[in-house]
Amino acid sequence: MAEKFDNLEEHLEKFVENIRQMGIIVSDFQPSSQTGLNQKLNFMITGLQDIEKCRQQLHEVNVPLEAFEYIDQGRNPQLYTKECLERALAKNEQVKGKIDTMTKFKSLLISELGKAFPEEMAKYKAIHGDDPPS
Amino acid sequence: MTEMFATMYGQNEAQGPPGSSLGFGPGKPPLPPNQVPMAAQMPPQLVDEGPALRKPGAMNEPFYLLRELPVGNELTGNTNLITHYSLEHAYNKFCGKKVKEKLSNFLPELPGMIDCPGAQDGSSLRSLIEKPPVCGNSFSPLTGASLTGFRLHTGPLPEQYRLMHIQPPKKKSKHKHKHHRPQDPIPQETPSDSDPKKKKKKRDDDPDRKKKKKDKKKKKNRHSPDHPGLAGSQPNSSSLR
Repeated sequence: MAEKFDNLEEHLEKFVENIRQMGIIVSDFQPSSQTGLNQKLNFMITGLQDIEKCRQQLHEVNVPLEAFEYIDQGRNPQLYTKECLERALAKNEQVKGKIDTMTKFKSLLISELGKAFPEEMAKYKAIHGDDPPS
Repeated sequence: MTEMFATMYGQNEAQGPPGSSLGFGPGKPPLPPNQVPMAAQMPPQLVDEGPALRKPGAMNEPFYLLRELPVGNELTGNTNLITHYSLEHAYNKFCGKKVKEKLSNFLPELPGMIDCPGAQDGSSLRSLIEKPPVCGNSFSPLTGASLTGFRLHTGPLPEQYRLMHIQPPKKKSKHKHKHHRPQDPIPQETPSDSDPKKKKKKRDDDPDRKKKKKDKKKKKNRHSPDHPGLAGSQPNSSSLR
């Protein structure tokens, strides 16, 4: 998988570099640089063809739209990854807290019900068996 | 209009209070004596018992609505999912240290001002998705005739088109500092060799200076009235007093 990304990255870097050089040629254009510009133009088309070929290799890759929003705002898209990981961990901890609390509540409820309704709870335990250790 | 409301209200009255059909009301309206609940009318195969209800034998017990306990080995939030999916490295990478805010920090090699919002100059990725460019299916190289359209006038580019060459300001002082650092351990063969020698000389001189200072102190202490007589053998004790 990483090779595919490396391949695309390499092509994109070449493409950007070519565009940068074209910008330099165009910024102060001289008649002698027309041939060079024509070469750069065709190299740009070749670069686009190479990038187009990479598309087939990366068909299964999904990029979240939120990451695009970060880029559009001129922000580092790694911040999106960071926030996702932090949110996931926070939610994970919340859910774990809920599960732990519910497990404690269940064991407490069973013990208290056992005191109040010993016969019924004996039947209940006969059906469900002993509770797994929490 | 009022007639419509009246008919609607009348219908509702007949059906019972609104919301009771959803089960959120004060209670389900009692069924007429000649009506049997739908579940009882349906054959047992079609009655939806909900997920994993107890077997009929067990249902005869004093409990009803008793369901199977959830399977213990199911993946839930009880486990650390970041560890489970081996994302500790990614977590430490992004959350362990401060991630720089600007896009130019992520793509330092990209020319131009990329930290500005893309909506300003119409270069946003969202606009590319919402309004994809109208173009052909393939890229074909430009021939001689089509290249004539790219013949440019000589001279510099107008001001408004020079934005691409403007780079975000970089902190030069930090770079300078970094460049100098690796040179520091190298200069064994450079003219700056004299500096460590000087330092060495100083270091060589240090014991002599210390001896001289000690001697002076001893002389002073001998002449001072507080001198206990054994100060030379126990310098630390005198200093502590």
